[in-house]
Amino acid sequence: MRITRRNFIRASLGVAGYYLATPHFSALAAAAARLAPRRSGIDKVLVVVQLAGGNDGLNTVVPYTDGAYFQARPTLALKPEMVLPLSGQLALHPNMSGLADLFKQGKLALVLGVGYPNPNRSHFRSIEIWQTAEPNRIANTGWLGRYLDLASPASGADDNMLPAVNLDPILPKTLSASKVVVPSVTNPNLFRFTTDPRYGQDRENQIAAFKQIYSSFDLKRPECDLLRKVGLDSLQASDYLLDVVKKYQGTVKYPDNPFAKGLQFIAQMIAAGVGARVYNISLGGFDTHAAQTRTQANLLKQLSDGLAAFQSDLEGHGVDRDVMVMTFSEFGRRVAENGGRGTDHGTAEPLFLVSSALKSGLYGDYPSLSNLDQGDLKYKIDFRTVYATILDRWLGADSQQVLGGRFDSLPFV
Amino acid sequence: MSGKAAENFWIEQLLRRAGFGCTPQELAGYKALGYEDAVEQLINPQRVPNDELGTLIEQQDFDFTRLDDLKRWWLYRMCFTRRPLEEKMTLFWHGHFATANAKVGQPYLMYMQNLLMRKFALGNFHDLLLGISRDPAMIIWLDNQQNRKGKPNENYAREVMELFTVGIGHYTEQDVKESARAFTGWQTRPDGFYFNANQHDNGEKTFLGHTGDLNGDDIVAILVSQPATAQFLARKMVTFFVADKPDQSMIDDVADAYMASRFQIRPMLKTIFTHRLFRSDKAYHAKIKSPAELVVGTLKTLQVTKLDADLPAVMARMGQNLFEPPNVKGWDGGPAWISTNTMMERFNFATRITQQKFDALEGYFSPSQLAANQGLRRARDLVDYFLALLVDGDVPADTRDSLIKYVSTDFDGQSIEAIPDDRTLDAKLRGLVHLIMTLPTYQLA
Repeated sequence: MRITRRNFIRASLGVAGYYLATPHFSALAAAAARLAPRRSGIDKVLVVVQLAGGNDGLNTVVPYTDGAYFQARPTLALKPEMVLPLSGQLALHPNMSGLADLFKQGKLALVLGVGYPNPNRSHFRSIEIWQTAEPNRIANTGWLGRYLDLASPASGADDNMLPAVNLDPILPKTLSASKVVVPSVTNPNLFRFTTDPRYGQDRENQIAAFKQIYSSFDLKRPECDLLRKVGLDSLQASDYLLDVVKKYQGTVKYPDNPFAKGLQFIAQMIAAGVGARVYNISLGGFDTHAAQTRTQANLLKQLSDGLAAFQSDLEGHGVDRDVMVMTFSEFGRRVAENGGRGTDHGTAEPLFLVSSALKSGLYGDYPSLSNLDQGDLKYKIDFRTVYATILDRWLGADSQQVLGGRFDSLPFV
Repeated sequence: MSGKAAENFWIEQLLRRAGFGCTPQELAGYKALGYEDAVEQLINPQRVPNDELGTLIEQQDFDFTRLDDLKRWWLYRMCFTRRPLEEKMTLFWHGHFATANAKVGQPYLMYMQNLLMRKFALGNFHDLLLGISRDPAMIIWLDNQQNRKGKPNENYAREVMELFTVGIGHYTEQDVKESARAFTGWQTRPDGFYFNANQHDNGEKTFLGHTGDLNGDDIVAILVSQPATAQFLARKMVTFFVADKPDQSMIDDVADAYMASRFQIRPMLKTIFTHRLFRSDKAYHAKIKSPAELVVGTLKTLQVTKLDADLPAVMARMGQNLFEPPNVKGWDGGPAWISTNTMMERFNFATRITQQKFDALEGYFSPSQLAANQGLRRARDLVDYFLALLVDGDVPADTRDSLIKYVSTDFDGQSIEAIPDDRTLDAKLRGLVHLIMTLPTYQLA
C-alpha cells in the first residue's frame, strides 16, 4: 500500500498542519502546477546503477576480433576464447554470464560509445556532468531530481512519502532536487528511531514532542530548512521501511555482497508497492589505474550476478515489466594500457539497460580503435539521448523540460 | 550584548570551529584568556604541553597495525588533546589528501601519514606537500609506484593539481603528462620512500611554463608558489572553518596571508579567526557539524570519559569513516552530511549517549540531587539549563515551549505540576537531552 504524506501525518498528528507549516510550499506548489505532466496509469520504475571510478568499457564489451584491441593491450586484452560473444564482433567479459544470459533472453540492451563533447577526465566533474546532464555549466540539480520535481503532484493530494530511494550513504547529485526530498537508506535494520528502552512508556511522548518541534521549527540559520525536512522524513520513513523488509521475502538467492543485498532491498520495496519511481545504488572500485585484471573481473562478476538475481526476483513477484535498470560510469578508460597493467581515465563507454519490457540488442556502433582523440575513444551517442529516451518513453515525462533541450531517442523501449 | 558576554559567546564558537567543542572546565580556561589570547594559544599548539594525552594513549596500548585501533587512537586524540586546532587541522588535511586504507591496505602506513600531517599541520605548506609526495601511503594510493620511465601513470600528477593545489582550470592535460614524467621513480619500499633513478625520466619537461629536467621536487615547489594554490587552499579553509558559502573578500585575505608568509598555514588561520566576518551573524551556527564534531563535541560537553569501542563505526555510519574517505575528494561536508540515513544515526547516537550514565556530571547519580544542586526545580529551568549547555539557547520560542511541555507531562501523557519521583525525573531529563540533541540546532556548529 502506498503511504502518502497526508494520511500518515493525519494519523499521527491529528492536524493537517504540515502543509501550513512549510513556508515556501504554496509558492512552489503554484509553480509546479503549471509544469506537472499528466501521469499515465502505470508507474514505471528506473533503477540507476552507478559504476564509480570509471569502468573500462573496452574490457567489458570486448571487440574480440579487432587486432587493434590486442595490440593496444599486451597484458590486459581478454582472450578471445574466454569472452562471451554477443555478436560476431562484440563479446562480454568472461565473468558476465548472468548478463550474457539476459541478452539471450531478450532482456538486455547495450548502448555503445556513449559520451559527450569535450570529455572531462576528472572523476568529479565528469560524474557531475552525467548526474546533472549539463556538460557546459555547473548545475545544482540532477536530471532525475528535476524529473521528480516535475512529476510530484502540485496539490499534495497524492504526495508520495518516498518519491525515490537512494541506497548510497551520500545522496548523489543525480537525485538533487529543488522540492522533493529523497531519502537515503543503506541498511533498513539500522533505520529506526530509538528511545531509551528502560522508559518505553515515555516513547510516544518523546515522538510527539519531536514531531511538534520539527513541523514548525523556524530558525534563520543557513541549513535549518534542510535539517528540518530531512529530520521529519527520517522519522516517518523509519518503521515503515522495516515493515516492508519483513513482509516481502522472495525465493531468489542473492550473492553475499553489499551490492547484491542492496538490489534485494530495492526488489523488496518495488514488490511492496512503496511507489518510488527511481532507485539509486552504486558499485565502486572501478578506477583501475593499476593491476586492473583481477579488480575489474571481481566487480563485473558482482554487477552481472547481482543484476541477474535482481531480474529473477522481480519476475518472481510479477513486477519485472515495470522496472528498467540503467548502468553508467563517469567515463571509460584509455585504449592503451599504462605502465602498471592498468588504464588511465578515458572517454566513451557502453551503457547497460536491463528490463523485460525493452527491445534487446546492441544500439549504436562500437567506437573506432584507430581513429582516436589523443589516445581516447571518440564517443558516438550523447548520453542525453539515452536519458531522453528513458524520460519520454519509459517514465512518461517531458525530456525537453528536464534536459533543457531536445535530444534524439533510441528505440530500445 | 555586553563586552564580556559577547567575548564569551564568540569564544564558544571559536572552540566549536577551531576544535571539537569543550568540557565546561576547558571552556572556563579559554574564557579566562580572552578571545585574542585564546586564538594565540590555539594557533601555537607547540607551546601547550600535551603530556596527559601521551600518558592516556600509552595506557590504551593501541596496535597501529590494526585499523580499528588506529581509528580509536585518533578519537582519543580528538577528545583529550590540549591542542585542539592541531587535531582539527590534521582532520582537515586528512580530508584534503584523502587517502583510504581500503586501497593502501596497511594501517601502519596510514598511521605514519597521519603523523606527517600532524607534524606540518600549521607549518609550511611546501614541507607538507613534499612530505605527502614522498609518503608511502600516498604513493600506493595514487599509483605512483607504477609511474615509470616510458610508461607513465598520471594519477598522482593529475590529483596533486586538481585536488591538492591549484584546482581545475589552472593546468592543461599536457601539464598532467609532463608532471607524471617528473614523478617517475618516486616509489616506496618496506623501509620507506625510495627514489628509483633507473625508473626516473630525466628528459626535458615543460610544466606550467617552466622548462628543464624537472623532478618531483620542482613540481612541488612550482605548485606551492602558485596564486591559484593560495586561493584554492584559502577557499577550502574558509569553507571548513567559517561558512559553506565562503565570502570572497575573506578568501582573498586568507590567500594573501599564505603568499605574504611564503606559504605558511598558521598566518592563514590567524587571519580566519581574527577576521571580522568570523565573529559575525553570517558565521554563527552556519556550519553543519561533521560526524567527528558531533560525536567528540557531545562527549566533551557531557563529560563522557569512557569511549565505546564502536564509536568510530557510529561515525562511519554518519558518513565519516576515519582513514577511509569515500573517494579522493575527501568529504564534501556541509549539507552532504545530511541524509535520512545519517540523520537517523545522529538521532540514535543521542539515544545511546542519554541512556548511559553521565559520568562526571556533578551530582548526577541522583537526578533529584542535580536538580537541587543547580536550583532547578521548575521544568522551564531544567529546559533552559540544557538548552544553554547544548545549543547556546538558539531555538525558536515554540521549541522551548514544546520541550517544557514534554518535561511537564507524565508517562501517561497527563500534564503535571511537579515531577512525582526520581524515576520520572531520570526519564524526563534523559528524554529532554535526547530531544535537544535531535534538534536542527544541535547539528550546527
